[in-house]
Amino acid sequence: MIYLDYSATTPINYEVLESLTKTSKEYFANPNSLHTLGVKSRELLTSATKQISDLFNVLDSEITFTSGSTEANNMALVGVALANMKRGNHIITSKLEHPSIYKILEYLQTLGFEVSYVDNDSDGLIDFEDLRRKIRPTTILVSICAVNSEVGVRQPLKMIRQIIKKENATTFLHSDMTQALGKIPVNFHDVDLASVSAHKIYGPKGIGLLYKNSRINIIPLIHGSSKDNSLKPGTPAVPLIVAMAKAIRLALNDLDRRETFVARLNERIVKELEVIDGIKINKTKYSIPHILNISLDNIRPETFIHAMEEYEIYLGTNTACSSGEISSSVMAIYNDRKRASGTIRISLSYLTTTDEINKFLTYFKICYAKLNALVQK
Amino acid sequence: MQKLILIKYGELTTKKENINLFISTLKNNILKKLEDQDVLVSYDKGRMFISKKDEDYTNIIKLLKEVFGIHEIILAYRLESLDFNELKNNVLDLVKEENFKTFKVETKRSNKNIALTSLEISALVGSYILQNKDVSVDIHNPDLIIYLEIRNKDSYIYFTKIPGLGGYPVGTLGKGILMLSGGIDSPVAGYMAIKRGVKIEAVYFESPPHTSIEAKNKVIELGKILAKYNNDLKLHVINFTEIQESIYKNIPHNYLITIMRRMMYRICEIIAHSNNAKIIVNGESIGQVASQTLTSMKAINEVIKLPVIRPVACFDKLEIIDIAKKIGTYETSILPYEDCCTIFVPDHPVINPVIKECQEYEKLIPYQDLIYKAIKNHEIIRINSQETNNFKDLL
Repeated sequence: MIYLDYSATTPINYEVLESLTKTSKEYFANPNSLHTLGVKSRELLTSATKQISDLFNVLDSEITFTSGSTEANNMALVGVALANMKRGNHIITSKLEHPSIYKILEYLQTLGFEVSYVDNDSDGLIDFEDLRRKIRPTTILVSICAVNSEVGVRQPLKMIRQIIKKENATTFLHSDMTQALGKIPVNFHDVDLASVSAHKIYGPKGIGLLYKNSRINIIPLIHGSSKDNSLKPGTPAVPLIVAMAKAIRLALNDLDRRETFVARLNERIVKELEVIDGIKINKTKYSIPHILNISLDNIRPETFIHAMEEYEIYLGTNTACSSGEISSSVMAIYNDRKRASGTIRISLSYLTTTDEINKFLTYFKICYAKLNALVQK
Repeated sequence: MQKLILIKYGELTTKKENINLFISTLKNNILKKLEDQDVLVSYDKGRMFISKKDEDYTNIIKLLKEVFGIHEIILAYRLESLDFNELKNNVLDLVKEENFKTFKVETKRSNKNIALTSLEISALVGSYILQNKDVSVDIHNPDLIIYLEIRNKDSYIYFTKIPGLGGYPVGTLGKGILMLSGGIDSPVAGYMAIKRGVKIEAVYFESPPHTSIEAKNKVIELGKILAKYNNDLKLHVINFTEIQESIYKNIPHNYLITIMRRMMYRICEIIAHSNNAKIIVNGESIGQVASQTLTSMKAINEVIKLPVIRPVACFDKLEIIDIAKKIGTYETSILPYEDCCTIFVPDHPVINPVIKECQEYEKLIPYQDLIYKAIKNHEIIRINSQETNNFKDLL
């Protein structure tokens, strides 16, 4: 099997899985219980939270555990919107966001919020001038992802935040950092709120977190009893949280070296594919090497993905969450409908081997030649 | 030039006879503090030197700020030469990196064999900098002070002095038993005793099931903070339930607290003897609660012979809180868990207990047996100053 869909999700790390099972078995008690078992779970939960907050250099109380990035995005966007209704109803986002952001904003529009989409240049970089222009006194929130999930374009969040705060000091910046964590350095202090997820960094599914700067108040989406965090009431998922703490620690190891390695694999694929007729490489100078997007002129991406599957090679279309539609990110960058409708995402990991890439390239060419010939007839 | 840490001893330089004990204890305390840091520590009568291969001292300075007996922590450059020309050129190289408009040079020369006096060295180095850099001298309010020290074999150059904690190296004055509750005062009292060179062992009284594990964990957390200054901390946990219940059942309630404190004192004295401690330290503050009136203190204190040191006795609550915040115990101390003093509290505790009555009442319970039993079965927790992660394998 050659798995090249790491940006959709990753296989769980063995050590992380060990922590998950061991915690599930040995620390099953409710951390809110008063007895010794509960206190033990509480200690473990506190240690795990502290490890995470230390790794991100934030306060324990600024971390809210969620079921994943989608929930964290909801908590952030809806929470900020509802808490700041009196101040304004305007929200800005980019054209390069994950579909979950757009769906939340559609919902907020039904509540009377107004959404603007900031332009980007042909490299996918946010158009700073346009951002400046779009910020109004009533703008309460800007949401821009750290790394785009389809083309891998990386945004300079620190600079974006400076621009925003200069125009309107009360506008908050949220960033979906799901595709950035574990691939490039992330800094929560560049933003006011951030979402990440464990399953993209070799952690378990069903756990993620929202970072929220302690100065910001947001309205909780879920209501219930809670000892830790009023944003996410209910019994804390200690085993998942512990597993995520470990996954984050492991993911932040060796970032540079891993990125260099993945960049080499990426370049090798680009070199071989860019010369093939009918293939376009959707890569800009801001794309991170882990995500490589290509467009096929003549072959439908689903067909191609199933053809590759015959050889046990697994690729992604746009993002796994919106398969079948056109790639909004490719559209936003290249403004070419045809190019945006036939995209395939090859996502790489430091676990990917050179040998896997060699095999992938061989079978890619075989499938491509076969399917292309059919279309040509 | 080698970058290293230079340590100036504080008050201990006045201890002529014991100076070797003080310095070698300080060295051991520093080595213990920096045990994960891979450093070399050497010393002479006036200074201690800490060097590390990678010359990254950020973390080390942070840790040294928790060691008593240090007057100043200095990040210095060592020049292994006494040659004046070499010295002035090196100073010039170093100040090129610094951003300043005005400066002065201060020289200390413990090596009296070299030809130039301290003032002459300062003047010559100063004029050399003036010739080579667009800056001026301001001896009253300079942006940068260039400190030079000429010692026997080496010269040292530095710009900033970071104040240390002062006090005496922990252990140089012997051992003391700290009565550690979960409150605000006792950790501060412990800290102040440690500051004067007393190595602390703590005693905590628990009364399960009337007190919770969380209350005990809170004390362990406080112990961890004290352990940072105390090298480590031995925590004696005494199960006080039987004594407390027996007092509650048999003794008039207005005397509960007085008798309870007398029992605690007795237990602490026995633990002090068996651990070679010379004093008892606690967080009593005059007049704060019924058991801390002067009459109460006298009635309680009479059961033991060891000196009881009460570092915060004459401090206002707010002054104690300030110190607690500074040393980092406050946040933990105010966590809301019952300790064994706050349960079994009578509505009207006696504020002027009569010693005779205390003695009469105590005859009503077999307290010697109970104390013997409590001490025989007591739990000892060794708290390490290094933050240990109990869940290392899981996280």
